[in-house]
Amino acid sequence: MSNLWFLYLFFSALLIFTGIYCLLTMRNLIKLFIAVEVISKGVSLVIIATGAVKNSILLAQSLAITYIVVEVSLVATALALIINIYKKNKSLDVRSLSKLKG
Amino acid sequence: MIIQILLLSGLVLFSILAILLKDLLKAALSLAVASLFLGIIFFRLGASYAGVFEISVVAGLITVLFALTVALTRKDSEVQEARLTRLVFPLFFVIFLIIDGLVMRSLLQQVPALPAGPETGTFGDVLWKARTFDLVAQLGVILAGVLAVLALFRKKEEDKDE
Repeated sequence: MSNLWFLYLFFSALLIFTGIYCLLTMRNLIKLFIAVEVISKGVSLVIIATGAVKNSILLAQSLAITYIVVEVSLVATALALIINIYKKNKSLDVRSLSKLKG
Repeated sequence: MIIQILLLSGLVLFSILAILLKDLLKAALSLAVASLFLGIIFFRLGASYAGVFEISVVAGLITVLFALTVALTRKDSEVQEARLTRLVFPLFFVIFLIIDGLVMRSLLQQVPALPAGPETGTFGDVLWKARTFDLVAQLGVILAGVLAVLALFRKKEEDKDE
């Protein structure tokens, strides 16, 4: 079972790497939040896989559900923010945010 | 074991597609398919409640939110990405894959197996009794999210008077 745990860790590390690569290189705001989603998938995979290996799947599930609720709240707020930024700047380019006055 | 590896590979593949596809709507749909794979993996690990949440909320609700945002910002929303971003990704990915494989292989021989103890009670007991504080925090987070969205979409006072 421990071998299986390392398999899950291996794949979740790949997901987290993919998300971080996108966060560091892409410029589209929506793409950046897709990257955040990909990273969160990697994290929730680790939570559930560790719970399954440690025979504490019930606790892991409750943590994963809490995590999903936080994730939804974050995405809803962030997408609302993106729409407002688009209305103001007419662009989804993250570089346009560096032209703030003040 | 083979089915698990196939499901995990599908999850990573669709996540990569979500990041590399230029069309944002297709990217959002790829993310939904990745969530579907993750939900199936949760079911196979015995986490049926988390699987249901993953499929219904993440694959369903979040995809709808992404599609809505893409629809609202479609006009003039094309962002010029750096040319090398997509071309260099496979190279970095393969390098990380090799490093990841080597690290996990070395950990496999060194890190002792996690201590495991049997869990008692039902999912309801754990969620409502052991993690009550989490539920209160969830309510707070949902309320904060709703208030944030309302605050971000409020109209100016002058618009109201007109």
